[in-house]
Amino acid sequence: MKIAVIGTGYVGLVTGVCLAELGHHVTCIDVDQEKVEKLNSGKSPIYEEGLEELLQKNLHNEQVEFTTEYQQGLKDKQLVYLAVGTPQGEDGSADLTYIEAASRDIAEHLENDTVIVTKSTVPVGTNEYIKEIIEANLVHEVHIKIASNPEFLRQGSAVYDTFHGDRIVIGSDDEEALELLEAVNAGFNLPIVKTDLRSAEMIKYASNAFLATKISFINEMANLSEKIGANIDHVARGMGMDKRIGESFLNAGIGFGGSCFPKDTRAIISIGKEIAYDMPILENVVDVNERQRSIIVDKLLKRVYDLKGKKVAVLGLSFKPNTDDMREAPSIAVTEKLLEEGATVVAYDPVAVANAKKVLPGQVNYAESAEEAVQGADVAIILTEWKQIKEFPLTGYKERMNKALLFDGRNCFNLDQVKDSGVEYHSIGRPVIYG
Amino acid sequence: MNIAVVGTGYVGLVTGVTLSDIGHNVTCIDIDKEKVEIMKKGTSPLYEPGLSELMNKNIKQSRLFFTTNHAEGFANAEVIYIAVGTPENEDGSANLAYVEQVAKDIAQYVVQDLIVVTKSTVPVGTNHKIKTIITENLVNNIKFEVVSNPEFLKEGSAIKDSFEGDRIVIGADSSEASAIIEKINQPFGVPVFRTDVRSAEMIKYASNAFLATKISFINEISNICDRVEANVEDVAKGMGMDKRIGPDFLKAGLGYGGSCFPKDTKALIQIAGNVHYDFQLLKGVVNVNRKQQRMIIEKLLERMPDIKGKRIAVLGLSFKPNTDDMREAASIVVTNSLIDRGAEVIAYDPIAMNNAKKILAPEVEYSTSVKGAINESDAVLILTEWDEIKDIDLNFFSEMKYPLVVDGRNCFDLETMREHHIEYHSVGRPSISCQFEKTYA
Ligand SMILES: NC(=O)c1ccc[n+]([C@@H]2O[C@H](COP(=O)([O-])OP(=O)(O)OC[C@H]3O[C@@H](n4cnc5c(N)ncnc54)[C@H](O)[C@@H]3O)[C@@H](O)[C@H]2O)c1
Ligand SMILES: NC(=O)c1ccc[n+]([C@@H]2O[C@H](COP(=O)([O-])OP(=O)(O)OC[C@H]3O[C@@H](n4cnc5c(N)ncnc54)[C@H](O)[C@@H]3O)[C@@H](O)[C@H]2O)c1
Repeated sequence: MKIAVIGTGYVGLVTGVCLAELGHHVTCIDVDQEKVEKLNSGKSPIYEEGLEELLQKNLHNEQVEFTTEYQQGLKDKQLVYLAVGTPQGEDGSADLTYIEAASRDIAEHLENDTVIVTKSTVPVGTNEYIKEIIEANLVHEVHIKIASNPEFLRQGSAVYDTFHGDRIVIGSDDEEALELLEAVNAGFNLPIVKTDLRSAEMIKYASNAFLATKISFINEMANLSEKIGANIDHVARGMGMDKRIGESFLNAGIGFGGSCFPKDTRAIISIGKEIAYDMPILENVVDVNERQRSIIVDKLLKRVYDLKGKKVAVLGLSFKPNTDDMREAPSIAVTEKLLEEGATVVAYDPVAVANAKKVLPGQVNYAESAEEAVQGADVAIILTEWKQIKEFPLTGYKERMNKALLFDGRNCFNLDQVKDSGVEYHSIGRPVIYG
Repeated sequence: MNIAVVGTGYVGLVTGVTLSDIGHNVTCIDIDKEKVEIMKKGTSPLYEPGLSELMNKNIKQSRLFFTTNHAEGFANAEVIYIAVGTPENEDGSANLAYVEQVAKDIAQYVVQDLIVVTKSTVPVGTNHKIKTIITENLVNNIKFEVVSNPEFLKEGSAIKDSFEGDRIVIGADSSEASAIIEKINQPFGVPVFRTDVRSAEMIKYASNAFLATKISFINEISNICDRVEANVEDVAKGMGMDKRIGPDFLKAGLGYGGSCFPKDTKALIQIAGNVHYDFQLLKGVVNVNRKQQRMIIEKLLERMPDIKGKRIAVLGLSFKPNTDDMREAASIVVTNSLIDRGAEVIAYDPIAMNNAKKILAPEVEYSTSVKGAINESDAVLILTEWDEIKDIDLNFFSEMKYPLVVDGRNCFDLETMREHHIEYHSVGRPSISCQFEKTYA
């Protein structure tokens, strides 16, 4: 099938390349000239395992191409995917500016009947709105249908998730559009849920909001376990064995970040507000998450009253492992607070340093490795559970730091490992170990 | 192993019976004489599929005994299970009076070394308290250990859950005691998770609180769906296919009831309060649940603003299907509110009517059949998704003066209701209007 994908961020690029891999002919359109040039030369602008290989292969086979030109990009396409960003607006609601602009661009250049497929995460009712905008601005006499096909990939394993996801959701009020989309996705061999437009839009928000709830729930349990003398690792394990609960997303830590959970939970609260419906659970999920981020620094300040002139090693900067994405990463607030308290900050991240430099305060220093970061440090803090950081041995802290004092926001080590390691170890929801 | 089980409610009786079924010698002790007499005859005082059969079988094989006498029950016991109730105090905290009494009874009557196992759901720290009470009151010079072994059975499938549970949690400070309890449970063939006492106590509350959260979460979503015209069943399906979420406990409805979720969530909030931790998220969960039970009345009133003198059929009274348990059932709040507004209430439940009569307002009438309840009523409310109610002949509704059904449990398919010309309001799904000549009185 001939497909256009608009927007080549995490979602658009992965979608475009994977659809090409299935044998479809894909043209990706992005307004960012530099990005498009980079992509045409076979370089992925984002870090995502396996993506660059697939990109080069499909460029070579002429299954995928990149352009900034809508007219050329939309020509003869049976489907047009919308995958531009829907960032968070000031009041927490989803900002639809990019969606609106792209819709108008489509309307202006579309010359044949097509199905518009919305991949971006958008509030309930937006698909109908997109259809209205396009129809109101069409230049040529063509017919469009609209379908919602929310994206569930996870950054860090986006390509894998596209081929091994739990389900593909397609929503439309038009039977033919549903059938067409089902055919497009058949090659992925994944379970498909067909539903109406509004329910499809809701599934995306509800899923992310639930996962965010699970994270805030276990973080609250961790805080409580700490106060009461239980061990959150055990509590989570005993809970997770219950099949109705499941073990995933029960890792206590310093909360969720990234471009999806924070924004999607706030967006659903804001959908509720619009219809005068309070969502006390989700409001608390967001509050808990805000508080959870400062917990590691609070612990540190309680232990080391005065950070002035102290050297603090910060390990892990991206909002989660295996991605270079810094959006809503806890490292932002943490490094700001440390600097404010007068500390010197040396940060290490295996992949995200280039992006981090754009968002973290200028005073932050960067190290090439965990070894280098903790060398001569007074305190070390783990913020992201990268493999390189989990596997950096406790002896490394003991040998290189002035006094091995480690605050682990991601519970990377099990407590037995820490005993007798010579490291003083503070983690989340577990007793302090004076190893 | 010689085992005594103290308390023969849902948990104690099922524990005693299943432990005898895997080969242990079990004596169940309860202070309720009448109950003990009934059980001696092989009759279960509570409704639980498969329970009576297993009771009879093990009584016949002389592995299962009942008594009201603690001294007699404890005489040979190597292990004593505490399975008495821990109801909710006024302030939401757990009432430990029964548990403490049992601890004193144990201290007074035990004559040999043993392990005390707490099955009852108790706040973090209670097992240590039990240990202290026993130590302080011991009459004979014996040694004992206390082990936490929280119960995860579900009423309505309790026997099945004992043999096919997801896990058995054993919390002990002594690894020998923990190993003995693991061995006792081995024949169940269920995965065992061994941990410390406090974490075990916490696991029980955390699990129930999380499941309650899942229920309130989907109810919140369903209320949004109602207002934005999405369908919560499709939403739940799409969510539940995500393996990290899972399909269970995503059925929108009238919220949770029963003897566990309401009490355990409130107790956990209290436990947190005691250590000055404000468990906000869970407070939200409890709030949503409280509102959710009333939601069905609001839906009815939207459609029929004045229900004074109207006859309202209420189908399903127990807090969930396959149990006669009425504790914290939505039917209590709902029937009270109907009666306060001057409606006549005619109720039906396949099993729970006897228990309901003790709890619901005296004005409530009862019907011996579903059809009898629906006949002559002005509206039908569905509160519990019993199979008998889900499989109802839909013509019963069509034959009403005007077929108005408000379903708090999404028992019926929308298309089918439309085909039968029934006006149908459910939870988080579009309403079906009655395209039918009958005018609404
Ligand atoms: N990132 C994730 O993990 C993830 C997962 C699931 C869903 N989503 C959703 O998918 C959507 C996209 O997310 P993302 O992370 O890929 O965004 P992104 O910000 O990384 O990428 C958006 C891209 O769209 C381009 N763009 C903007 N306006 C355009 C226009 N008018 N025409 C053409 N291109 C235009 C931008 O240049 C950019 O390259 C969002 O709605 C997001 O919520 C994201
Ligand atoms: N019901 C459930 O589904 C369930 C599931 C898991 C855990 N639990 C927990 O298990 C515990 C018991 O619950 P239940 O529903 O079985 O309670 P229940 O109220 O049904 O039964 C308690 C029984 O203990 C007896 N009893 C009270 N004091 C006694 C004493 N001193 N000596 C002997 N017998 C005594 C009572 O007569 C009664 O028969 C509670 O802590 C509850 O939270 C219940």
